[in-house]
Amino acid sequence: MKVQGEFTLPLGQQAAWDLVLNTEVLARVIPGCQSLQPVGSDEYEMKMKLAISSIQGLFAGKVKIEDRNPPYSYRLVIDGQGKIGFLRGSGLLVLASESAATRVSYNGEVQVGGMIAGVGERMLDMATKMMLKRFFEGLLREAEEPPT
Amino acid sequence: MVTVTPTKVEPQVGKRVRRQEDPRLITGTATYVEDIKKPGMLYAAIVRSPHAAARIKGLRTEAAAETPGVYAIFTGADVEGVGPVPCAAALPGLRVPKHTILATNRVYYVGHPVAVVVATDRYIARDAAEQIEVDYEGLPAVADPEKALAPGAPAVHPEWPDNIAFTQHTEGGDWKKAFEEANKGGVIVKERITSQRLIPMAMETRGVVAEWDAGGKELTIYSSTQIPHLMRTQVALMLGLPENRLRVITPEVGGGFGSKLNVYAEEALMGFVAMRVNKPIQWIESRRENFQVTIHGRGHVDYAELSAKKDGTITGMKIKIIQDLGAYHQLLGPLIPTLSVLMMPGLYNFKNIEADIVGVFTNAAPTDAYRGAGRPEATHVIERMVDILAAKLNMDPADIRLKNFPSKDAFPFATATGLAYDSGDYAAPLHRAMQILDYSGTREKQREARRQGRYLGIGISTYGEICAFGPSPATPAGGWESATVKIEPTAKVTVMTGSSPHGQGQETSFSQLAADALGVSMDDIVVLHGDTSVVQYGIGTFGSRATAVGGTAVYLALQDLRDKCTRYAAHLLGVKPEEVNFEGGVFSSGRITKTVTIGDVALEAHVCRNLPPGMEPGLVATRFFEPSNFAFPFGAHIAVVEVDKETGKVQVLRYIAVDDCGNAINPLLVDGQVHGGVAQGLGQALFEEAVYDEYGQLVTGELMSYAIPKAHHVPDLECDRTVTPSPVNPLGVKGVGEAGTIGCSPALVNAVVDALSPLGVTHIDMPMTAAPLHARLPGRPAARRRAALHRQDRRDCPHRRHEHAPPGGDIRNPAAALPAAGRSGGPDRRHASAQPGNDWRQPGPRRPGCGLSGRAASPGSAGAAGEPARRAHADLSGFPDRCLHHGSRAGGDSLRSDRSGGCGRAWFCLREDGAAGFRLCRGRRGRASGDQGRKDLCGEGGDHGHGVEILSGRRRRGGAGGPAGIGRHTGRSRAESG
Repeated sequence: MKVQGEFTLPLGQQAAWDLVLNTEVLARVIPGCQSLQPVGSDEYEMKMKLAISSIQGLFAGKVKIEDRNPPYSYRLVIDGQGKIGFLRGSGLLVLASESAATRVSYNGEVQVGGMIAGVGERMLDMATKMMLKRFFEGLLREAEEPPT
Repeated sequence: MVTVTPTKVEPQVGKRVRRQEDPRLITGTATYVEDIKKPGMLYAAIVRSPHAAARIKGLRTEAAAETPGVYAIFTGADVEGVGPVPCAAALPGLRVPKHTILATNRVYYVGHPVAVVVATDRYIARDAAEQIEVDYEGLPAVADPEKALAPGAPAVHPEWPDNIAFTQHTEGGDWKKAFEEANKGGVIVKERITSQRLIPMAMETRGVVAEWDAGGKELTIYSSTQIPHLMRTQVALMLGLPENRLRVITPEVGGGFGSKLNVYAEEALMGFVAMRVNKPIQWIESRRENFQVTIHGRGHVDYAELSAKKDGTITGMKIKIIQDLGAYHQLLGPLIPTLSVLMMPGLYNFKNIEADIVGVFTNAAPTDAYRGAGRPEATHVIERMVDILAAKLNMDPADIRLKNFPSKDAFPFATATGLAYDSGDYAAPLHRAMQILDYSGTREKQREARRQGRYLGIGISTYGEICAFGPSPATPAGGWESATVKIEPTAKVTVMTGSSPHGQGQETSFSQLAADALGVSMDDIVVLHGDTSVVQYGIGTFGSRATAVGGTAVYLALQDLRDKCTRYAAHLLGVKPEEVNFEGGVFSSGRITKTVTIGDVALEAHVCRNLPPGMEPGLVATRFFEPSNFAFPFGAHIAVVEVDKETGKVQVLRYIAVDDCGNAINPLLVDGQVHGGVAQGLGQALFEEAVYDEYGQLVTGELMSYAIPKAHHVPDLECDRTVTPSPVNPLGVKGVGEAGTIGCSPALVNAVVDALSPLGVTHIDMPMTAAPLHARLPGRPAARRRAALHRQDRRDCPHRRHEHAPPGGDIRNPAAALPAAGRSGGPDRRHASAQPGNDWRQPGPRRPGCGLSGRAASPGSAGAAGEPARRAHADLSGFPDRCLHHGSRAGGDSLRSDRSGGCGRAWFCLREDGAAGFRLCRGRRGRASGDQGRKDLCGEGGDHGHGVEILSGRRRRGGAGGPAGIGRHTGRSRAESG
């Protein structure tokens, strides 16, 4: 499944870069994220609860950041599995300054397998869109809040 | 000795005898594998791969093993001593991957078994299976056969990077010359035609119970299979067990359609587990497993070319078949496309053919025999191509077929692919079907419909098929069949057949044969099958062979027994055997008045007080029948369809099936088979498709996303037969189990293409869901499309149909064919809807509406017979009690009584009898509403305690919907429309 889109953060490019790489922020805004622990440089272990249609379950997996090119772009690689299947994907995030704001565009591919594909496929597109929407709304909230 | 006057007894063969099997099936007293319980039984669950292709880097079972109730866990390493899952196809050069019963270091498709957990109940087993951690390293996968053939595609099996399992080239006649001539002065048509991957979906999933008798060193396997004897041989070999220490019992089988004509990993695996844990084991396949790992059917991409003269005479054919084989070969998989090649010339006269098959490995479930097995694919291709040719030459599709049939005195007819068609009169069923339809009248109606801008189409399919498998040299494991018939001392008759049925009704048809041959009542006959310790080795039920081969073996054994009884009776009567007459169970002779009954002979043959010299005691006969040829049934199916001009949805208006399966032992069973077959063919044509995504994930993995036909999708089938007996067997029968499926899909596709031909459509691939058809329709404003979709829903409301069109019988399980068979009634009813004046093409509702007017007939309603039943008040809180648009409560309380005036909006109310119902607003018409709003109402009515209605898109947008969001019809599943 192709995932593609863009959103705008009301921050300067460097601030936006810091935000989208802040694991504490990410752990708060990734829908269903239960923990996000660094295990090495640019590598994290993530536990995430995913619910699509009638199936839900816990995914455990790795998140890696590759091709880091601050503050312009990086590649996000995820690989997780759980009882309801597996989730694999990678995507390129590109940050571009746009007057006072920063436009973040993403372009990637997500592959799901197991029950989540066989049973949840009909819902997958919508669920993905919804999760992305919640993710960006969360980021936006974080961006608007004064740094603590 | 009792003397009885001989009476004329009506023969059973040829009668519409109701199925002996049905009482136990419809009262829930039949025993399926899941019903088998053994003391101390354990339950197995299988861990399956979620990956289409992956390396297994590690496997941790500790957490699962610690789960309370878990008895044992076995992985690939434990079962290394068990032989591979067998493939019986012996094609030259066939690449056969080693198909172990559990994966060891690599998985090849989603669902690939990796480990098995044995526990004290099935829920513990399943929970524990989820605890097993398998560390997969995902690999690139390919599930599309054409993509798998492309250079650089991921290799399904690394040892064969081209993904080709085998190729086969066949030539007949001089196809080069035929195409050269067509190039010069004739015509050539080409098309790419697919027969999509299907999921057989037997109503009963697979299941195995295995029990090891350590003392007697005997393993008993209960399995839901079509081939108990062949499975015993193969599983014994896999387990290294002497064949006579393995007993296979097939209890009731809830449908197979070829998916149980196989030897599966789980059958050997459960045997292995039972022997290891020394406890009885049960494994019942879940529906999701059934989607993923039980064989799939079809999976063809065909490139076809037909050459012809300008007058429509077909001269030659070129065909390239790309067969999606999946990741492994099951029992017969690679043989299935070879049957397609054999059948490719269809019923036509041409003698020149070039056929190529490429069998392709993909990261998907194996494909194998599914109802029709190779012949539906071939029939679909040739019948589509003939229609494409007819369109190109501007000929009528009926005329071009009649022109190319061999004449009825040309039999046995040698085909381009080397078959010898046994007998046939191919024009007869087509003429009959055209007569039932009123073909020319319907063409006139089609022209009228086109003038009105409607898309009405007529599709013809004249199919032939290879049945009665078969001469042994042409089959991988023997094509004969066995039968044993015993007459017990009390004159009860036991018939034992190797053709173990799974819903076909052999217990009835074989009883009919025995009743006629021995003059006993049907009630005195028991037909035994499916127990390898009881029944003589046999082959099984598949390929429409049970009656033609198994039935003939029964017939021969019955003749032997009847001869012996006659000789015995002659001895008792004191006359010569040739002087004995036998009728109605009584032996008599014209010379004397004394008679003896079959009962007298049965008793005498066992007590032997007066044994004829040279004769052995007992009345048992075993016979084997080896057919000299296949049998070739044929027929003509005609479908009339309308494609909704706004939604693209196909409605089947009429379906006529005229089949010729030779003599019919039981026409009721024949009709049941045709009904079920057509339902499955219709499923392929309109709804079904097993879809793998680009990563090899089966995304149609459950019934929510894989649409099978429901009862209301199946039209009234107008069935008739012509009779051309087969010379291949003494019964003159051919076979009909797969005929409906084979004839149906091209009839429907031809009809839809015919309907859309004014738009320049020449071919449509299956399934013909609304979306691809809609894309070919002229563009329409979105609002009108939405409104039309809602109208479509209303037409489809199952409640509208159930009075008129009861469930179409064996949609998925021929064992449940009783309602369908019963519905056919006698021949007098068969063409009820074929009478002139049938108003199928009239605009407006064709069938009685279900609305409120249909309520009287609903279950639970006192209906027309008496006072309306008092019902508990429905909870109407939350529903509007007045027209939301006008605030008015004034309205008619039924759709029937108030068809005029008012804005037409509906709301819930309580009727006088206490049931929930609708009211329609009689207030001022809304600005936007016309008659449309009212038409869109389809109330299921108060009998169900809740209403169901469809409000047009317009009204929903207007926000006045009220109950619009609730209870919308769910009859249309997403997959149907998308």
